[in-house]
Amino acid sequence: MRKFILPLTIVCIISGFFLAFQFKIQTNTTSFDAVSQKNANLINVIQSLEQEIESQEDQIAAMRNQLNEIQNQNNRGKLQDLQQELIRAKINAGLTSVIGKGIVITLDDNKEGLNAAPNDDPNKYIIHYEHILNLVNELKIGGAEAISVNGQRLITTSEIRCVGNLILINMSRIAPPFVISAIGSPKLMLESVSMGQLELLKSAQYPITVEEKEELIIPAYKGELQFNSAVSQ
Amino acid sequence: MWFILPIIGLILGIYLGSNITFQLPAIYIKYMSIAVLASLDSVFGGIKAVLKNNFDGTILLSGFFTNALLAALLAYLGDRLDVDLYYAAIFAFGVRIFQNLATIRHHVITNLRQRKALARGEKNE
Repeated sequence: MRKFILPLTIVCIISGFFLAFQFKIQTNTTSFDAVSQKNANLINVIQSLEQEIESQEDQIAAMRNQLNEIQNQNNRGKLQDLQQELIRAKINAGLTSVIGKGIVITLDDNKEGLNAAPNDDPNKYIIHYEHILNLVNELKIGGAEAISVNGQRLITTSEIRCVGNLILINMSRIAPPFVISAIGSPKLMLESVSMGQLELLKSAQYPITVEEKEELIIPAYKGELQFNSAVSQ
Repeated sequence: MWFILPIIGLILGIYLGSNITFQLPAIYIKYMSIAVLASLDSVFGGIKAVLKNNFDGTILLSGFFTNALLAALLAYLGDRLDVDLYYAAIFAFGVRIFQNLATIRHHVITNLRQRKALARGEKNE
């Protein structure tokens, strides 16, 4: 054997390996490179807008606190009755954080199931907005008085909506794991959900936990709430 | 034929590279491209040396590794300094590959001409 064959073969093996490997990577990545660049820009825009929303929500909360203080200052005679009515109306509208006994449902994507069957349709293993919507509806049927999903209080104008791989509630993006808190009679709510969506999700082997809580705090609605078209009749 | 084994090696390398399931993070793709060029440069440099009859295995292998390492270091430095220094490595390797290929071509063509001339000479005798 001539002396150059072995080193040349080694270099050839390495070279072929690198070539094929690089070729594979390139065919995998170049197709969405421009798109991912654009996506990164869009993500930046979204994030800055979300920060703006957050700061404005803080502002709203501060102003509502101020308003509460002013409203609580004069509490004599007829004003006191009106104030109590106001507080009740605020609770109804979801503008105050509330405390009471209730249940907390935690649900997450079925990652184990997806890992076990990687070729299956991943849609079968993730929590969809319909699941949350159905659970919320069933909680309402069970007499829930206040409901929040991942800290987003549900009020009359709240939406539960699918946007790509995320869920929008109160225009905020919600990602798994989903924590649904509901204040009300735990027994009634549990009966209501366990006859419907919860049982379906459990049988599909989603990781779900249900807790009963004596003291459950549900935060106030943080977003804007203005009625421009609807006036009291 | 002396080039059979290196070609088998090349095919083996391509087979290994296309069957590997290792996922490289996107930042290192740049470094991979330099490694590809360094190895190609070494292959052509080796072939050239074989044709010129001054082949040295130690020089070839050490050259391959130090060149690749140096180029990677340069690219890394460029990343830190926000200067695309790895273009320098790509350029250097590219020029060398072209030069090596040109020398190989010259050798092959002159070899063929000599053989033809020899064959004609034998006929004439």
